[in-house]
Amino acid sequence: MFDRISIRYKLIVLLGLSAALALLISSAITIYSTYLSESRASLRVLHQLTDVISENMRAALAFGDAGSANTMLASLRVDPHILLAVVNDESGRPLAEYRAARVSGAQVPQLQAGVQARIRASADALRRPDGFVEHIDDDFMGVLRPVFFEGAPIGVLAVVADTGVVWAKIRELVLLQAATSVLTLVLLLFLSFKLQSLFTRPIMKLMGAMQDVARTKNYRASLEAERRDEFGTLYAGFNAMLSDIRERDDRLSLLATTDALTGLANRRHAMDSLQTMLARAQRKGEPLGVIMLDIDAFKAVNDSHGHPAGDRVLQEVARVLQANARDYDLVARLGGEEFLVVCDGGTEEVTVAVAERIRAGVEARQIDDGADALFHVTVSLGVHSAVPRSTHEDIEKMIRAADKALYRAKQAGRNRYMVA
Amino acid sequence: MFLGLLGLALLLQAPWAWAGDEERKLEAVFIGRFASYIEWPAKPRERFVITLLDDNPFGTLLDDLYRDKRIHNKPIELRYATRLDQVGETDALFITLASSAARAAAIDHAQRNGILTISEAKGFAESGGIIQLDFVEQKARIKINHAAALKSGLRIGAPLLSIATVLRGDRP
Repeated sequence: MFDRISIRYKLIVLLGLSAALALLISSAITIYSTYLSESRASLRVLHQLTDVISENMRAALAFGDAGSANTMLASLRVDPHILLAVVNDESGRPLAEYRAARVSGAQVPQLQAGVQARIRASADALRRPDGFVEHIDDDFMGVLRPVFFEGAPIGVLAVVADTGVVWAKIRELVLLQAATSVLTLVLLLFLSFKLQSLFTRPIMKLMGAMQDVARTKNYRASLEAERRDEFGTLYAGFNAMLSDIRERDDRLSLLATTDALTGLANRRHAMDSLQTMLARAQRKGEPLGVIMLDIDAFKAVNDSHGHPAGDRVLQEVARVLQANARDYDLVARLGGEEFLVVCDGGTEEVTVAVAERIRAGVEARQIDDGADALFHVTVSLGVHSAVPRSTHEDIEKMIRAADKALYRAKQAGRNRYMVA
Repeated sequence: MFLGLLGLALLLQAPWAWAGDEERKLEAVFIGRFASYIEWPAKPRERFVITLLDDNPFGTLLDDLYRDKRIHNKPIELRYATRLDQVGETDALFITLASSAARAAAIDHAQRNGILTISEAKGFAESGGIIQLDFVEQKARIKINHAAALKSGLRIGAPLLSIATVLRGDRP
C-alpha cells in the first residue's frame, strides 16, 4: 500500500511521524521529570512546614501543652492541601491534631491509622535528631519528624497532605504539551509540505527527463549537473548514461551507414539518402545528377599488386571522390570497385564537370603499392541528370541510365565518362 | 462496715493519689525544662544550681531525675534550704513557702541576685515571682511574669512564652 503513495506524501508522512514520535518521547520525559521535581518540591514544602512547626512545638511538647500544640497545628489551615497533622508525645500518645475541614468523617480514622502505623514502623528513624520519614503515593504524601528536647526525643510531628498540587501541575503541563505538540505538528506538516519539494523536485525532474527520452528517443537531452548533492551525482550518472547511449548509437549508425574500408556511405545508406534527395528534387522541380563509377581493370590491380594494394586503391579513389564532389553531394561505395556520386541540384553540365574532375583526379593520383613502387589507376563513369517525376520509379531509372552510360564508357575504352 | 468504708475511701482516693504523683513528676521534669528556655547573666559557676526553699514535696524525685543530667551544659547540683538565709548562690529557686510575706522576701532576694523563681503558689506570678506552675485536670498551666524576669536580668525564650500565660506588667 505504501508503495502506491507518491514520494511527496511519503516524505510528509515520514516527517510527520518522526516529529510526532519525537514530540511524544520529549513530552513523556518532560512530564515524568516534572512529576519528579513537583513531588520533590511538594515534599520540600512539607519538610519546611514540619521544620518550622517542630521548632515551635518543642515547648508545647516539653510542657505537655495540648492547647498550644493544637493552636500551632491549626495554623496549617492556610494550606488547603494539608489534610491531617498529628503531634505524638514521647509516650506515643497524640497530644494534638489538626484535620482539614474537607476531610470526610470516614477518611479521618483511615488517615490517623495510616500515620500512627507509619510512626510505629519508623520508630528507629524517628529517634535520630536528623531523622525523618517521607512518603508519597498517588493520593497522599507525608513527612514525619521527631521533636527533640535537650538531645532526647520528646515527640513526633506528622503532616499529611494530598497530592493535588502535583497533579494540578501535571494536568497543566499535559495540556500545555498537548497544545504545543499539536501546534508544532501542524507547523511541521506545513513546513514539510513546503520543503518536500526540495527532495521531490529533483526526482520529478529526473523522472520527467527519463519520460521525455523514452517518448522522443532524443538521447541528446541532458540535465543540469551543477548540483553538488546526491541528486547532482544522479544527474551526472543520467547524463553519462545518455552520452554512452549516444556514442553507441553514433557508432552503430556509422557502422550501419558507412563503408568500413573507405569511410564513404555504404550502399544501403546511399539508397536512403538518394531517396531523400530525389524527393526534395522532385518537390522543388530541380534536376538531380547521378554518376556511376567503376575502377578500370581492378582485378588486374589485385592480381599484380596484391589485395592490400587493391584496398589502398579503393581508399585513394574514395579520397579523390570526396575531394572533387561538392559538400552537399552524396558519395558512396556501392560494393567492390563500384561507386556512386549524386549531385544535388546537378544539371547535366554540373554533373559532367564533377565527373570529369573525378576522372582526372583519379588518373593523376599516384598510389603506393607497398613495395616502394608507385602506380595509378583510371575510372570509367556514367553520367545521368534529370528532374525526377516520381520517387521510387526514378531511382531505379536514373541508376539504370547512369549504369548504362558507364557500360558504354567501359566499351569505349575506359578512363572516360559517358552521358546517358 | 468501717473497713468497707475505708476501702471505698481508698478506692476513691487512689486516682487522685496517682494524679498527684504524676503531676509531681511532671513538675520535677518541668523545672529543668524551664531552665532550657531561659538565659541567665553570665556567672562563673561550674554547676547549674537548683535550690528548693522550705518543704521538699519531691522526696528523692529531683535527685533521681537530675543525677548525671546537665543544664546549659553544666552538671546539676540540687540544694535544699529551709530558710532564705540558707540560699546561697543558685540559678533556680523552687519556692514552697506557705507564707506570702516569706515568698515576697524570697522573690526580692532572687530579683537582686538574678535567680529564676518557680512556685506553684497561687498569685505567685502576680506578686513578682517569675514562673507560676500549677496543674488543672492533670494539665500544666504556666504563668510567667515577664517583667519580673527582665528585672532579674533573665531572658525567657519565645517558645516558652508562646505556651504560657504571660504577665507583661504588674497585671496579666
